[in-house]
Amino acid sequence: MATVAPSLTAVSDRRGNRPDPILLSMVLLLSAFGLVMIYSATRFGLERAEQIPTGTMERQMIFVTAGLIAIGLFSWIDYREYRNFLPIIYGAIVLLLLAVFLFPEVNGARRWIPIPLFNLQPAEFAKPIVIITMAYVLSQGNDVDRVRWKQILQILVLAGFPAALIVLEPDLGTTLTIPFVMLVMLFAGGANWKQMSTLIGSGIIAIAAAFRFDLLQDHQERRIRVFLDPSLDPQGMGFQLRQSKLAIGSGQLTGKGLFEGTQTNLAYVPEAETDFIFTAVGEQLGFVGGVILVTAFLVLIWRLLVIAAQSRDRFGSLIAVGVAGMLVFHVFVNIGMTVGIAPVTGLPLPFLSLGGSFYLAMAMSIGIANSIWLRRSPVPDRVDQ
Amino acid sequence: MRFSLRLTILFGLFLSLFAILSMRLWFVQIAEGASAVEATDNQSWVSVDTPAPRGDIRDRNGLVLATSRFVPAVVVDRHLVNREDKDVLIQRLSALLAIPADEIAAMYEAAGVNGTFTVAIVDTTEAYQINEKLALFPGVRIEKVPERVYISGTSMAHVIGQLGLPTAEDIDERPDLNPSVRIGKSGVEARYDEWLQGKSGEVSYQVRLGDVISQRPEVPATPGDTVILSLDSELQAVVENALAEGIQLSNEWKDGQRAAGNEDAAKNETVRGAAIVLDVKTGEIVSMASYPSYDPSLFVGGLDTETYSLLADQQAFLNLPVSGQYPPASTFKAVTYLTFLEENVPLPTDVEGIDPASKVVHCDGQLELSRLNDGSAQIFRDWYTGDKGWLDVSASLQESCNIFFYSVALGIHDAWDGTPRETVLQEMARGLGYGSSTGIDLTSDPSGVIPDRELFLAWQEAQMDDPEEAPRLLDESRLDGRDPWFGGDLMNAAIGQGTVSATPLQVAVSYAAMANGGKVWEPYVVREIRDPKGNLVELNTPTLKNEVDLDPENVSRLLTDLNRVVTRGTAAAAFRGFGDSLFDVGGKTGTGQSIASKDNHAWFVGIAPISDPRYSVVVLIDEGGSGGAVAAPVARQIMQYLMGEELDPIVAGESAQ
Repeated sequence: MATVAPSLTAVSDRRGNRPDPILLSMVLLLSAFGLVMIYSATRFGLERAEQIPTGTMERQMIFVTAGLIAIGLFSWIDYREYRNFLPIIYGAIVLLLLAVFLFPEVNGARRWIPIPLFNLQPAEFAKPIVIITMAYVLSQGNDVDRVRWKQILQILVLAGFPAALIVLEPDLGTTLTIPFVMLVMLFAGGANWKQMSTLIGSGIIAIAAAFRFDLLQDHQERRIRVFLDPSLDPQGMGFQLRQSKLAIGSGQLTGKGLFEGTQTNLAYVPEAETDFIFTAVGEQLGFVGGVILVTAFLVLIWRLLVIAAQSRDRFGSLIAVGVAGMLVFHVFVNIGMTVGIAPVTGLPLPFLSLGGSFYLAMAMSIGIANSIWLRRSPVPDRVDQ
Repeated sequence: MRFSLRLTILFGLFLSLFAILSMRLWFVQIAEGASAVEATDNQSWVSVDTPAPRGDIRDRNGLVLATSRFVPAVVVDRHLVNREDKDVLIQRLSALLAIPADEIAAMYEAAGVNGTFTVAIVDTTEAYQINEKLALFPGVRIEKVPERVYISGTSMAHVIGQLGLPTAEDIDERPDLNPSVRIGKSGVEARYDEWLQGKSGEVSYQVRLGDVISQRPEVPATPGDTVILSLDSELQAVVENALAEGIQLSNEWKDGQRAAGNEDAAKNETVRGAAIVLDVKTGEIVSMASYPSYDPSLFVGGLDTETYSLLADQQAFLNLPVSGQYPPASTFKAVTYLTFLEENVPLPTDVEGIDPASKVVHCDGQLELSRLNDGSAQIFRDWYTGDKGWLDVSASLQESCNIFFYSVALGIHDAWDGTPRETVLQEMARGLGYGSSTGIDLTSDPSGVIPDRELFLAWQEAQMDDPEEAPRLLDESRLDGRDPWFGGDLMNAAIGQGTVSATPLQVAVSYAAMANGGKVWEPYVVREIRDPKGNLVELNTPTLKNEVDLDPENVSRLLTDLNRVVTRGTAAAAFRGFGDSLFDVGGKTGTGQSIASKDNHAWFVGIAPISDPRYSVVVLIDEGGSGGAVAAPVARQIMQYLMGEELDPIVAGESAQ
């Protein structure tokens, strides 16, 4: 014990801190559960097509493995280093977001860069990078619990530029994540009520203007209209929403049992392994399973807020708050969509939905949060000694 | 505000968002869960229609003409086809059955989201082979489906009609139709479709994860009702054979005309003809033939475009007896004859060769008129040369003397032009069924034309409004705004020419009415409809369309004169050797002129027997050349059969109108 360095300010290493066991075990549990649900939602279709029933799940297992490695890697990297490389990281993601426009459209959107093994989706990685960027801007200066208007302007420009590129792809769901996370981080960073209400007010005016002047893509506007009135589109999206609600509803209290889903297996609910994975959960595991899953996410978010509180500096605190806000937005909008209280925006469910870029980006974010935890203020009992 | 407090507020906010999710889950899964279970349960039930076999079509003696048999077919059930498998499935089916992929794709779309449709009918061996490979064809099964069989082949094809897939309009009209089940498109198949169609059965089963987990008892299909025609197969064979020989006879006759240097009478080859035998007491069609014919079986599995256009070029699908419109020509003289007697038409007093007091006309081949056309002489020539002497109305009918009937028209014009009586001839014709649809229970029943001043004025107005618009029935000299109806028009009408047109069926119906004393019956081909068990469903009883008040004396005089046509008049040559009952049959020849590029149409209409009229027989050979030479011998053989005489071969009669 005597070997412990005496100076607090000089602490730059982990000082013997251990990774957050609750955070990591929650991620592991959610990922494993995701694999089971992906298998459940896809095996029937694969069997029918005379393919290996575990094929889709195996693909996701590769991503999960890569994600776990990423968690380790980003835990090991000192998150404070990002401040030094921020221009490079930010520049790289902007270039990748621009690069998607060089590739052909898939289903009416340019979101992907085809590389070996999978299609890279830069917008997913843009989310944590924008969070780091905003945390950096807000942690500049000496004001501990105050946000200056100048910082707000800097954030709007630095987050707005990638957001604008993502909306052009188009990917409305991912774009909408950014203002939500921004508001959460500004609030945590000490923005006053005047600043918050100015931002929220102008946001509402911007959305109204987007509708008024037809700035939304046709399919985006349609999705919102169908969300408000599913009967507008009984065969297409309205069908999907209705079927999703019916499937979840038919799970009742305890569900039909794992692998016993009938709706999520018979093509009544399309995309049950990606955006509509919660539909499979709700049908097979019922209200109980759904609430347990929501609770698991809540625990994860609680841990991230604890990390924010314990962080050694304002930069780390704000990153952790940003990651928490990002997860909350995804979980609420995704599950809300499957039960008809949020529009279909194409946001997947973290750690459960099939998808490589998304899983890796989420794993990166958790790794960074864990890095903050590892480098938090020294463990109190050691300090006291 | 301290940082930790702000984090607490944020956590509270996040917690409330998740609480909203949980409450929503409660509402969806617990509050509405039961109804969602019910809805998903219903969704997992699949109902498949099993098509009903079409009802039989039989002749009046119960002989089966068309029936249904069960054959193996490749059926696709779209419930069991994944969206992503669709294209591969269509490709594989196309390769297996040698049907173009786009045709199968069209059937696929037509069947609707959860529809079932028959791709093709296969033979037993093929069915067995496909059954082995069903694993490669999700949603495909081999099923026994009913298929139409036409035992009668080309015989009566136009009466029986044909099948075809329903069009979009058909489905609009009858939304309950299964788009992949063929319906009647013409003839009895179309008019009696609702009886013949039957009622589809239903198989319902519940599918979970691709397996059938439960099944409701099958609702069996109800076969269609049996439709019994008034046609007699044995007579039909005689009529069809006689008609075909008549076409051949016409071409031989034309060869003779060409050899004699009379090229004008033989411009084209003869290809079409029609024959009808009608019961004058009821309106029942006992026989109806249209030449050339086709086999309705061609339409059962769908017809390739090449065969279709070949048959369409021959107008093989046209039911000539009902749908063909021709100038009735001299057959129409019987109408003028009755008008003359019934209305006491005064003959003109100031024309040379007409004796109004004795009611005779000098049939010397031409009628010279000087007063119709600005004083300039106008000559109406008859079809014969030479002098037949002074003839009364009876002899004129027997000899088919045009001049007499021209004189009748002229008499009407002179006495009643501009008065309500100017249309006595047209009223008689309309009363006897001309100028309106016959009401037969078949498709395409045109009205024909009986012209009068009113009609010509209407045509004139329409044509002057838009000179380019069809039909442009009047020539330009009548479009100067003056009265377009001339006395000459009535003269042409009196001999069934000019703008008069009629279908062979209208002629048969009118002769039936003249022979039975004035009753115009609606003709029909279906006597009764019975359910598959043999119980009577519908009975077609004779329907009186109109009754003309005719003096029985005039009727019996007409019948006598019609007999004289075949014993010593224009058809005498054709009826030579008829048999002992020659005294008891009658008829009228007709040779209709249409446009200059066509040969004359050959008509014969007969009544048998004369003593107690039973049948009205019409033979029309399209561009046949001559009624007396070509149509009369055909009708003679049919009437020999009707009278129980021995059938004589069909040879040319005398070339007469």
